[in-house]
Amino acid sequence: MMRFSIIIVAMIAVLAVFMPFLLPWDYAQIDWDGVGLDIISQQAWQRGHYLGSDDIGRDRLARILVGTRITMSIALAAALVAMLIGIAWGVIAGWIGGRTDDIMMRIVDALYALPFMFIVIVLMVVFGRSILLVFIGIGAVEWLTMARVVRGEVKAIKSRPFILAAKASGASFVAIILRHILPNIMGVAIAYLMLTVPQVVMVESFLSFLGLGVQEPMTSLGILVNEGAAQMEINPAALLLPGGVLIILIISLTIAGERLRDRINAGGIARPDAGAA
Amino acid sequence: MLRLILRRLWMAIPTLFAIIILSFLLMRFAPGGPFDGERPLSPETKAALESSYGLDKPIWEQILLYVGRILQGDFGPSLIYRDFTVNELIAQGLPISLLIGGLALLLACAIGISAGLIAASKAGQAIDEILMLLATILTALPTFVTGPLLVLIFAFSLGWFPVSGMDENISWVVLPVIALSLPIAGAIMKLVRAGLAVQLSQDHLRSARARGLSPVKRLFRHALRPALVPAASYLGPAAAGVLTGAVVIETIFGLPGLGRYFVQGALNRDYPLVLGVVTLYAGLIIAFNLLADLMYGWLDPRMRDS
Repeated sequence: MMRFSIIIVAMIAVLAVFMPFLLPWDYAQIDWDGVGLDIISQQAWQRGHYLGSDDIGRDRLARILVGTRITMSIALAAALVAMLIGIAWGVIAGWIGGRTDDIMMRIVDALYALPFMFIVIVLMVVFGRSILLVFIGIGAVEWLTMARVVRGEVKAIKSRPFILAAKASGASFVAIILRHILPNIMGVAIAYLMLTVPQVVMVESFLSFLGLGVQEPMTSLGILVNEGAAQMEINPAALLLPGGVLIILIISLTIAGERLRDRINAGGIARPDAGAA
Repeated sequence: MLRLILRRLWMAIPTLFAIIILSFLLMRFAPGGPFDGERPLSPETKAALESSYGLDKPIWEQILLYVGRILQGDFGPSLIYRDFTVNELIAQGLPISLLIGGLALLLACAIGISAGLIAASKAGQAIDEILMLLATILTALPTFVTGPLLVLIFAFSLGWFPVSGMDENISWVVLPVIALSLPIAGAIMKLVRAGLAVQLSQDHLRSARARGLSPVKRLFRHALRPALVPAASYLGPAAAGVLTGAVVIETIFGLPGLGRYFVQGALNRDYPLVLGVVTLYAGLIIAFNLLADLMYGWLDPRMRDS
């Protein structure tokens, strides 16, 4: 199941990155003589719109592929931002321990209780709608689980003999973190990174759906779903195609991430809060 | 019990204030204001408008005034819906959001708990695997895709339910509620299944089995209640999920709930409206977290002392 879903994600990624170069139409290019072509019509096929064109004559296949590309790259970038913040926060809290740890984790708890989606919406409205902001905003919101998991992991590793040995041999704090702690938490961190990606995909599409994320002429799966929903009576394909890609992408990423996490939890270091997220 | 409630309420106060102040500052430092419409107003008119809404005072004074008013239960006038106060808009929107959100939570619990029970009682069998895969798929479904899909199938093609809006016939609630509840149902399913797996391996359940209690009795009388604790702790995030989901669902289904006022307010820089809705949402989420904490004690008496 895990391998299967990873293969699907990889296939979608490869198609989204390379296939637009092979198409006769660009995603933003308007074909004035081929407006609103049906998905399976001879005319569409002849003009090179293999999945038809939208209501202002842009190629649907190209738009879906480019939208997928944008959605996936924002998701990856935002998840990486979240991972970096989460690891830094978790390592510091777990390593220092005591009072600092208490306060830092209390902050995480408090942030969990915030209606974050609303803060992100306010952020997007306030600071304009650049792609950069979309992913920084999302990344800044999604790091909480990562911080919790990493902190638990660091606490578990901290008292193990090899760390004590490193300390005794006079290794500096930075060296211990880089050489001994980070390599040991990387597995878990990557598993949670994979679980963060589908969440970010969802948030990004949600924002774009509301018109607050990626802006025209750039496109993303969320925008395409929104456009499709507006004309689904006349042209269901406009909703079904991007919606289908989005659902398959999120499901495969979630399954892959969950299986990976379970596998690491089963074989890794015992963690009290495993699976609590 | 009372002490727990009071302590949690006490702890909720700084969180609530942090949210109010954060959103207040964010809105205020944003470029563009509520009166920068299509037609530019004359400087005098703008100044008069701003001073009548108190927007010309220093920021900290505005915050103090605002918080003071909230403490009296007054969210102030809406800047965009000129003839309405934020309280009136909330009074219009909240019942619709609560109806849909409440029904969605109930439906999600019903689906999630029963499917979790079935999966746990058939642990390791094919049906367990299928149900858990289904749960993962459900949690991964974005409401803004399932919503339009449900409309396409059940409203346009089959014509069973109205496409959008509210009408006399209460059947308009069906599709929004289903769309909103699916991801939450999936999450509850997983949590119940996992909770039951832990409970079923406990000593007292082994002895119940040795005494010859039927599987149904074992599940319902001994295992289910404590197994619901993880699901109960999900209630807070679930409430948040219902509220965010409602923003999209209300847009898709054209319902005049709180979520739509929020989005409209945010897009139009209607400061008091956005702040009012965010504050209300934060309060609701905190209330749900408290409710979850209280449910622990009822579900698992061992947790009452801590």
